[in-house]
Amino acid sequence: MRRGRVAAGLRHAVLGAWVLVVLFPVFWMVLTSFKDAGDWVSWPTRWAPFVDFEPTLLNYRQIFYIGGTTQSGELRREAAEQAYVIWKGMADSVVIVTIASVASLLLGSALAYAISRFGTGGRNYPYTILTIRMLPPIVVAIPMLIYYTSIPELFANLGGARVEFFDTYSGLILLYIATTLPYVIWMMLAFIDEVPRELEHAARLMGAGRLSTIGKVVFPLVASGMTVTLLFVFILNWSEFLLALTLSQPKVLTLPVLLNKFQSAVEGRLYGPQAAIGTVVTIPVVILGFLIQKHLVKGFSFGMIRR
Amino acid sequence: MAPTSTPKDSELRVTLRQWLERESVFRVLPLLPVQLLILSLLAVPFLLTIYISLLRWRITRGFWTAAPWGGVTNFVEALTDEDFLYAVLRTFVFAGFAVAFELLIGFGLALLTYREFRGRRVYLTVFLIPMMIIPVVVGYDFSMLLVDTGPLNSVLSVLTGQDVRIRWMSDYRTAQVAVVLADIWQWTPLTFLIFVSGLSALPPEPIKAARVMGATRGQVFRHVQLPLLKPVIVIAVVIRAMEALKIFDMPMLLTQGGPGNATETLSIFLWRNAWVFNKISYAAAASLLVLVLFSGVIFLSIWLLKRERAQLEEVRP
Repeated sequence: MRRGRVAAGLRHAVLGAWVLVVLFPVFWMVLTSFKDAGDWVSWPTRWAPFVDFEPTLLNYRQIFYIGGTTQSGELRREAAEQAYVIWKGMADSVVIVTIASVASLLLGSALAYAISRFGTGGRNYPYTILTIRMLPPIVVAIPMLIYYTSIPELFANLGGARVEFFDTYSGLILLYIATTLPYVIWMMLAFIDEVPRELEHAARLMGAGRLSTIGKVVFPLVASGMTVTLLFVFILNWSEFLLALTLSQPKVLTLPVLLNKFQSAVEGRLYGPQAAIGTVVTIPVVILGFLIQKHLVKGFSFGMIRR
Repeated sequence: MAPTSTPKDSELRVTLRQWLERESVFRVLPLLPVQLLILSLLAVPFLLTIYISLLRWRITRGFWTAAPWGGVTNFVEALTDEDFLYAVLRTFVFAGFAVAFELLIGFGLALLTYREFRGRRVYLTVFLIPMMIIPVVVGYDFSMLLVDTGPLNSVLSVLTGQDVRIRWMSDYRTAQVAVVLADIWQWTPLTFLIFVSGLSALPPEPIKAARVMGATRGQVFRHVQLPLLKPVIVIAVVIRAMEALKIFDMPMLLTQGGPGNATETLSIFLWRNAWVFNKISYAAAASLLVLVLFSGVIFLSIWLLKRERAQLEEVRP
């Protein structure tokens, strides 16, 4: 029994070491978010709140624009001017990412069902669609900008209404749907493949239509898989930087682009407010991940295990 | 009687429902929006790239319809451009190191946590955190850690007893390491997740059988678990490799491709040429070359995936 205990101790030691590696950068971000301007890059490094430095909520009040002044007032005014966009950045990100992720999930799940049950698109279709994900976004971004900016003219020539894709919600949403579809299809294909066809046959024999068979038999069995897929796609879209940087601003401003902008012309990087925003945007996703952790841990084998 | 259900209305609904019931409709309907989206959103820009790459267009010189014809000069220029070739090499080296470490660490951690034990939930929760943080934030976070008055130098000062004030991001070697480390920190959770998922989904019967027949844990791992897990390993490699080759956010935020172009990956090279130097046609030509290069990687990964799937389907009852 002693050997088992040594092994358990070793296991906790290794895992604990990695916990430190993971948490230290997070800890440092949270710590910095409570520091006032003078403490961000002072030497020696300020480690302990209340001992080394006086913790403050100024950064948070700053980014949410709840007012407040500090030692370096000028720098703070600059931050405050940028602050009003935080709310806008949040709103834009939430709207775009939610719509794109849900749409991608629905379109992808429907297609995954058709592929699984009817072999839609042929045997190679899932692989073909995976190549989309392999294209570097920068390769897409350059022509995309030209394409999007040309669309209003093209459509105006056709006599239609003015269609705008550049710097609009719809432009980014469509692109985010297209770039996350491959993952949705792959993940959902794995979940749907696991639902026994016999269940569906039974329901159909008893007179249920195709749609209600899916709604009452298939959907309950893949619901947790859909949750996992949704979270994964949500994270990918929530983090997307390059396409948003190229194809939006100034009207539409997602959080990653906004974060990149949050710098001071006077002082360089505004570590405090940046850390505060970083903390604020990280918390919801971490909580979400925690809530569905049980499903996450089961749902990521992409159908590559025979059960 | 409800006024809404006129006979005509219900007739229409019945026809619609019958139409939806047909297998031919059900088979094709979900494909249409997806294909439409892909064609209109990705095919058109692709053709546009080809056309633009044959021009000599800079943003500063008017609209692209008025740009002079350039033929293949851009391609020749790219293939003889040392910066481009180094960016290619650098991208593959970065991705190679990052993915290798992510796989090793992820696999090791997964082996230690896939079975139930006390505290498992806490470890799982913590390990997944980095993946959920926006890469832009991770970039900033690491630049806070590595700034010359940051905690890393502080710790080193305490350990060495000297005043260590190294500018990590100004040295090309350490800047390169930092970019790879940040990528490993951020994406090890994904490989970990894939492996935990795979390990806990393994069927218990063959493992039990092998144990009953007297195999040691090591033998079970090598001869039972590892072969069963191979497809999962393949998909982890493919997914991480294809994301790592696109690496942009981390070097962009940590170093802007610098110092010099020590951390200039392909994505950053193309970005700089297109938007900083305004050489759009050149960037378009280079990105087509990147596509040709990547298609090799893509074919290889798809071939690997297909082979694994085919084997899975063979043993499937």
